[in-house]
Amino acid sequence: MTFFNTLRTAFNGIFSNLLRAGLTTLGIVIGVASVITMLALGNGARAAVDANFRYLGSDVVQIGVKEKIDQGEFVPVGQILSYEDGLEMPRQVALVDQVIMSIAGEGKVRHGRNVVDMPLLGATADALLTLIARQEVQPVEWELSKRPLPADFLAQGRFFTPAEVIAGADVCVLGHKTARDLFGGDNPLDELVWVNRRRCIVIGVLTELEVTNPALRNRTRPNESFYLPISTAIANLFDRPPSVVVTARVSDEARMGEARQQIIAYLRQRHGVEKDATGVYADDFELTTRQDILGAQQEAARTFAFLLAAMATVSLVVGGIGIMNVMLVSVTERTREIGVRLAVGATQRDIVGQFLLESVLISAGGGLLGAAVGVLSIPLAAGLNRGVALLSPQSIPLALGVALLTGLLFGLYPALRASRLDPIEALRYE
Amino acid sequence: MTTLINIHQLTKTYQMGDSTVHALRGVSFTVASGEFVALMGPSGSGKSTLMHLLGCLDTPTNGRYELAGQDVGRLSRRARARVRNEQIGFVFQTFNLLPRLSALANVMLPLQYRGRLAGSVVGKTAVSALEQVGLADRMHHKPTELSGGQRQRVAIARALVTDPALILADEPTGNLDSQTGQEIMALLQQLHQNGRTILLVTHDADVAAQTQRVLRMHDGAVISNQ
Ligand SMILES: Nc1ncnc2c1ncn2[C@@H]1O[C@H](COP(=O)(O)OP(=O)(O)OP(=O)(O)O)[C@@H](O)[C@H]1O
Ligand SMILES: [Mg+2]
Repeated sequence: MTFFNTLRTAFNGIFSNLLRAGLTTLGIVIGVASVITMLALGNGARAAVDANFRYLGSDVVQIGVKEKIDQGEFVPVGQILSYEDGLEMPRQVALVDQVIMSIAGEGKVRHGRNVVDMPLLGATADALLTLIARQEVQPVEWELSKRPLPADFLAQGRFFTPAEVIAGADVCVLGHKTARDLFGGDNPLDELVWVNRRRCIVIGVLTELEVTNPALRNRTRPNESFYLPISTAIANLFDRPPSVVVTARVSDEARMGEARQQIIAYLRQRHGVEKDATGVYADDFELTTRQDILGAQQEAARTFAFLLAAMATVSLVVGGIGIMNVMLVSVTERTREIGVRLAVGATQRDIVGQFLLESVLISAGGGLLGAAVGVLSIPLAAGLNRGVALLSPQSIPLALGVALLTGLLFGLYPALRASRLDPIEALRYE
Repeated sequence: MTTLINIHQLTKTYQMGDSTVHALRGVSFTVASGEFVALMGPSGSGKSTLMHLLGCLDTPTNGRYELAGQDVGRLSRRARARVRNEQIGFVFQTFNLLPRLSALANVMLPLQYRGRLAGSVVGKTAVSALEQVGLADRMHHKPTELSGGQRQRVAIARALVTDPALILADEPTGNLDSQTGQEIMALLQQLHQNGRTILLVTHDADVAAQTQRVLRMHDGAVISNQ
């Protein structure tokens, strides 16, 4: 029999009991849909990690305070990582030539009658460079290929200088929407705003920004921001000196390990960290490099892949058994038809082909349906996960291939059974 | 006249647990090409068993079967499928049409299993087979939309379509009223006149009378041949 005729025969077989075939595919649909959705979640998580740590160049070490939870609050395990710790670092650590520091706080900002309660950012003078390096946001309608300069992020005025950071000057830079919220349509430049109980002069306004990754756009508000020199922020927003996040740039990328050791030695000495009873240093800070993140991410990806494979296997086996079951019923119901086909000259191979194709078509239908369901449920899954899900393009052919394979595998036994029927008994079957 | 069927000491036994059923106990006869032969005998005498062996649906326990000079008694399953497809046309008492296919599609079926035949050739051949049985105007009807006699005509067209050497009909009029049965017999007569070799099982003496020769069976053996 030609393939086309076999195909038509198989289609006829399916359409003669479409509802049953449809219900049979449910397992495959769920299996394929979950494979696609889970892959999308994994892919999205990976993309988010990538985006979050893209700025972490291979030549930087990020240093933060080590914290523990005490009575429901995060508290440092030892000393805080202070602004001064960071400030001294380029001078004291041979391989570190520059540090960027930042601190996040909250406060009330007031101008005239307008008051906004918002996160405030203490930063060093190169905060805009960090923003560019992260590539999380860009000026609206920015040409993707072009790399923005710090000046491209400023709509008005300027950013604060290193001198203003050192001095703790009372200056600030506003995000686009924050400026509008505080000043309406008026020009904010050189105007005074109150941050908690201290005044500061607006020296710059950022241009309108958008999140680079369209999938993330509705989750963050890039235009609600308020930048202060980090020293000003520490003095103004906190009762006690807070911990800062220090990003140290290493002058020689090839000597990252060495630089790491130097930083550790520097901080241990500054914080007076001693060995504990077991002979291990009880460090009160944590170092992160891109290498660390990649390693952790790969570890997570492996775990995820394992879970995914387990789930896919279970649902596809269930789906496959469903197909096998329905095909066995179909073979029994169509015993007489098989007898007729054998009588007019069908070979065993013809019969195997017909029933195998039928189960493969059922599973392919289930696979296609599952792919559609999977793709459509990605936003839903992302919502439930409060995270990101990004369709991974390879997941569709992968899932379809697995579905086809399932149909082939579980259709084989019923098809072989059909082909082994004795023609005389099949013809006599009632 | 050339010999089409030559069987010699054909036996068929079925093992039913401890007991052995001797369905055929050494049957020998020949049928010449172009003959119209009836096979009669009481129920259980082995007529259908013999037809199955002649139609290569089964293999004999012992004995020899030559069809058109070829020893077909010991062929593989695959080779028997090929003989069935190319040399044999079956007509059954219960028609055995595929209910979901149109008359035309049913008639096309044997040709589709023949392998590399162009679709247009298959279609044309099937239509002309339906014309021969006088059903060209019903070719798009499903079996359920046809009368019993019409269904049997479709089945005959399906048996004819491959231009087989031998047509085997196991009680083709058994499920039809005598009037319709007579029409089917007339059709078979006509095929015979066109040179077809037909072997037909019947319980009906009037039907048997319309053939050239009657083989009578009893308890797995041929008891008369005239
Ligand atoms: N598959 C089988 N297994 C066991 N015994 C069988 C089998 N097929 C046929 N027989 C036996 O062989 C004998 C001949 O059966 P067969 O069907 O050939 O008779 P028949 O002449 O066609 O009868 P009828 O006129 O009722 O159709 C019977 O005794 C039957 O029970
Ligand atoms: Mg019989």
